[in-house]
Amino acid sequence: MSARRGVGLSAFQNRSSLSTSYATHGASLRTAHLSSLQTQLSVFQSLLHNFALQHADTIKSNPSFRAEFARMCNAIGVDPLAGSNVKGKGAGKGGIGSLWAKVLGGDVNDFYFELAVRVVEVCRGSKGENGGLLGVKECKEQVKKGKGIGGGMDVSDDDILRAVKSLNPLGSGFSIVNVGSKQMIRSIPKELNTDQSRVLEAIQVLGYVTASMLEANLGWEHARAETVIDDLLADSLVWVDLQAPEKEYWSPTFMNDFED
Amino acid sequence: MDSLQSLTAESFTYPQSYSFPPFFTLQPNLQTRLSQLRKWSRLIQRYCRHYHIFKLSLVSALDTSLFKNAELRKRLSLNDALQVVDWMTRDEGGRRAEWIDGGLDAKGGTAWVYWKRPEEWAEVIVGWVEETGQKSTVLTLYELINGEMTVGQGTVSRDWRPKSNAHGTLDFHGMDPDLFQRSLAVLVKRSKAQVFGSEDQQGVKFF
Repeated sequence: MSARRGVGLSAFQNRSSLSTSYATHGASLRTAHLSSLQTQLSVFQSLLHNFALQHADTIKSNPSFRAEFARMCNAIGVDPLAGSNVKGKGAGKGGIGSLWAKVLGGDVNDFYFELAVRVVEVCRGSKGENGGLLGVKECKEQVKKGKGIGGGMDVSDDDILRAVKSLNPLGSGFSIVNVGSKQMIRSIPKELNTDQSRVLEAIQVLGYVTASMLEANLGWEHARAETVIDDLLADSLVWVDLQAPEKEYWSPTFMNDFED
Repeated sequence: MDSLQSLTAESFTYPQSYSFPPFFTLQPNLQTRLSQLRKWSRLIQRYCRHYHIFKLSLVSALDTSLFKNAELRKRLSLNDALQVVDWMTRDEGGRRAEWIDGGLDAKGGTAWVYWKRPEEWAEVIVGWVEETGQKSTVLTLYELINGEMTVGQGTVSRDWRPKSNAHGTLDFHGMDPDLFQRSLAVLVKRSKAQVFGSEDQQGVKFF
C-alpha cells in the first residue's frame, strides 16, 4: 500500500496516519526498553551493593582489589566518587551521596577522604624541598610509611589519583600533572609553562641538566636557558649543585626522603 | 674528632638525601635552604648520637663521611658546614647545637651537638638515679661517667625513657665531662642535686 504513492489530497492523510503509527510504535518500544533497562539497572545495583558489602573489607585493605573494583565501576560508567563532596552518612535517603557512600555506608568513601588528608599532609610537608610538585609514586611510598596517626595505609597509585581527585570540590589547587612520563601531584595552584615542563622532563631523562645541555639539546639561547632555570630555582622545583664543572640542576623528586 | 668512635658494629645508615648531589651545596632559594638545613641538622644529630659524639670540630669532621660523600665525590664546604651548625644553634634550628669557641664571628668551628640538650640529659640522669636507688648517696663524677655501674644504663631502664633507641647509645656513660657538668648544673639549679669537691675529685649528691 505504502508502495503506491498517493496522489492528490489523499496523500496527506496517508502520510499523517503513517507517522502517528510510527510514533506510537516508537513510544511503546522505548517504554519497553526503559523498563527492561531499569530492571537491569536495579538488579545490577543490588548486585554491586551485595558485592561491595561482601567484599568491603577486602576493598578497604587490598589495593589491587580496590583498583579493580574501581575500574569495573568506571567501565560501566559509574563514577564512584561523583558527588562525594556530600557526606554519605549525612545525606541519608534520597541524598546525593556518592556510590561508595550509598553502597558501603560511607566506609570506603571515608577511606578516600582519609587518604586525601594524608596526601595533603605529605604534599604540605615536602613543599619546602620540592616546591609543591611531588611524584605520585613518592607520595604513595610516604603514605605507606605513615608517620601520621593510625600508621601507614596500603595504597596503590590509583588510590592516590582518586584521592587527589576527591579534593577537587574544595578548589584547593591540588591537581595531577604529567611531566614527561611521570605523574605528579601539584599542590600549589601555579601552572608550569612549557619551557619549565621541558626542563623537568629533561631532568627526568638525564638525571640532571646544565645550562649548556639545554642549549645543545633544545636549541635554546643561553639567556632563555638561564631564565627558565632561575624560575625553577625560585619555585624550589630544582636544586643546584655548585660542586660540578658547570652548575648542575637536579630535581628533588628523586631525593625522595622526608624526615621531618 | 675528640670523641672515640663507638664500638657498635652496626653501621650508620644515611638518609637518601645523602646520595643527592645538590644536598652538599647550600641552596640559594630560602625556602629550599630551610628544608635543607633541617635535613642536615637531623643528619648531624643522628650521626653524633650513633657514634656517641658530643663535641664536633667542623674542621676535622669535614674529612669524615658525615660531611663528605666519597662515592659522589661531594662534600659540604667549611663555610656551608659553619652555616648549618650556626643555624642549629639558633632558635629556629631548635638550639640543637652551641658554639664552644665563639662560632662564626670568632672564626671558631667547634660546637656541642645536642642530640640531647643538657636539660634532657638531666632527665636521663635523674631517671637513672631513681631507678637504681642512688638518691642521697654521694657519687663521684668520675664513677658516674666512667664507672662500670653506668655502662649500658640506657638499656636497663627502658620504662621511664619515652623513646628507646636502637643503638643502645643513649647512655651517659663515657659522656664528655664538660657536658656532664652542664647537665648536672641544670639539676643543681632545680635543687635536685648538689655538687661539691675540687676540680678532679668532684662528687655529687642527688635529692
